[in-house]
Amino acid sequence: MSEILQFSLCLFAFNCFALAKFNHYRDVFKVRPTQTQSNQFVVVAWISILLSLVLSVVEYKGYGALLFCGYMALSVLILMIFYSFKTSWVKAMSVINISVILFSGLFFAIY
Amino acid sequence: MKDSFFRSMTWMHTWVGLLVCWLLYLIFFAGTVSFFRDEITLWSKPALHDAHVPQERIGLQHQQIIAGVEYLKTVAPESNRWGIYLPSEREPWLIYAYEKPRPEGKRFGGWNDYYINPETGAPIQQPRETKGGNFFYRLHFDLHYIDVRTARWIVCFASLFMLVALISGVVIHKRIFKDMFSFRKNKGSRSWLDGHNVSSVLALPFHIMITYTGLITLIFMLFPYPAMTAYDNGVRGLFNDVLPTNVRTQSSAESAPLVAVETVLDQVYTNWPNADITQFAIRDPNTASATITVRAATGTQVRDQTPTLLFNGVDGSLMAKTRDELSATEVFYDSLTALHTGRLANPLLRWLYFLCGVAGCVMIATGCIMWAKRIRERMKKDQVPSFGLKLVEGLNLATLMGLPVATSAFFIANRLLPITTAERADKEILVFFVTWLAVALFALFKRAKQQWIMLAWVNCIACISISLVNALTTNGNLISYVLNSQWALFSFDLMCLISAVLFIVQAKKLRTQLHAPTAPFRANRAGKSNLREQNT
Repeated sequence: MSEILQFSLCLFAFNCFALAKFNHYRDVFKVRPTQTQSNQFVVVAWISILLSLVLSVVEYKGYGALLFCGYMALSVLILMIFYSFKTSWVKAMSVINISVILFSGLFFAIY
Repeated sequence: MKDSFFRSMTWMHTWVGLLVCWLLYLIFFAGTVSFFRDEITLWSKPALHDAHVPQERIGLQHQQIIAGVEYLKTVAPESNRWGIYLPSEREPWLIYAYEKPRPEGKRFGGWNDYYINPETGAPIQQPRETKGGNFFYRLHFDLHYIDVRTARWIVCFASLFMLVALISGVVIHKRIFKDMFSFRKNKGSRSWLDGHNVSSVLALPFHIMITYTGLITLIFMLFPYPAMTAYDNGVRGLFNDVLPTNVRTQSSAESAPLVAVETVLDQVYTNWPNADITQFAIRDPNTASATITVRAATGTQVRDQTPTLLFNGVDGSLMAKTRDELSATEVFYDSLTALHTGRLANPLLRWLYFLCGVAGCVMIATGCIMWAKRIRERMKKDQVPSFGLKLVEGLNLATLMGLPVATSAFFIANRLLPITTAERADKEILVFFVTWLAVALFALFKRAKQQWIMLAWVNCIACISISLVNALTTNGNLISYVLNSQWALFSFDLMCLISAVLFIVQAKKLRTQLHAPTAPFRANRAGKSNLREQNT
């Protein structure tokens, strides 16, 4: 379950990085992002990606850093596919991503 | 030297990459495949398909070692070496092995292996002779047929070129973060450039790590001078110093009884209370020079050096052991080697390594295709292509499409070659290289889009044939693997089918392009400057 949380956080972070870009945000929401919104996405993305890295390293130490590199590659690949071929699915994907973070985070906190 | 730093870097990236891209593709392809070398070896030996990891795997090791030594005492009392290889998660079978009599003038006679079912202790039918995944592992850095040392030098130079290409690629990719998720389809060379950039950037830490650590694994061959200065016998002396368990004792003809195995195992478990023993090897058994080497798994530690204990085989005293605490230099070398080999990886990390390896193959492939495509786009209608362009296009087709066909042929040969064929493992490898040569000869004569389509279909049929031939010649198939939870075998067949689907997509895409007018290419500034350089 912790691996799912680490990966979901990484995916969420890169999704935020993508949405912080003008063209990707416009493709998804059909409106221009304000500078404040872009900045907020970047801040959330950095928090999320650092959280993912910290959770990976705390749990697996050096091995966790390797896992984190893999999570980054997989996240960028998934987002590249969505943003290049299925932009209309990005909203649904983001909702699922956030739900997975919440559920796996809850599970991780309880157990 | 070009007139600006950026243009110099672009020039260097293009030519450093292009010069070795086909060799790099082979190295990356073989390396990526060999992340699953144990699983491929398992698939290649159907006799072992039913072996399962015992529930009490570690608990059974003590008994398995004692039974193994008793077995070898009976079967091969005169052998120079005995080995007991204990089951692991990836290789769930037990092997009792002994060295065959050494031919005159040879230092090693080869192993005779007996496969045992670890759950029941009963012998398993001896598997077919094959190199399996080990072929791709050795191909990755030994390049087969070439002298090992020469091959490793060639691989080292290619890696060095790759490292330069990676660093210069980062420098010239100005919009590295802005275009991170962008892939513009149906835009001609622009799409190839996007594909090249995305596959490079998405696994950039992996690409840099794997290239740098690849050089580090062979650093003592590249740069042996410090060891040669400090030790009389150079690198060997250094390794004997760092790894005291490597030291060999002089063989003796004087007979002496072998120490009781329990005496050795008691010390092993005292040193390592939770030991997961992988190997129990005896050299010169029943002689005064007998030694016993015990190796344990490293688990998921970022460490390549296996913990080892060396015992005197006559009195059972501990002669040497690997250090628990390594120096900073040893940790650096050992952890970088571990990162490269990926032996530490559990299934999740192994798949991530594989994904990044595939990204590396795509990066190299798109890079070499893009070069030829750009030159083609710049040519006038009646212009005759240069020899260089024809060579690059031919090598592209032969390597990028030939290597997957050859790999499929290797796996099909594994199932179709008669079990009793003499030197069967070498014949499988011969099939691999003959198939590749056939594709290369084909590419020599024709290398237009039509030939790419043809080879995409050949690849597709070959990939489907692997699963089909497997289902027809063994008791397993994709469905039975799921039902029996044989996930390694299921993944292998599934990957073949996924590859087949990807080749269908490629063939269809190329066919569409063949009948469509050429898309206009709006070169960006980097592209323009690159083209200008190719002119000069």
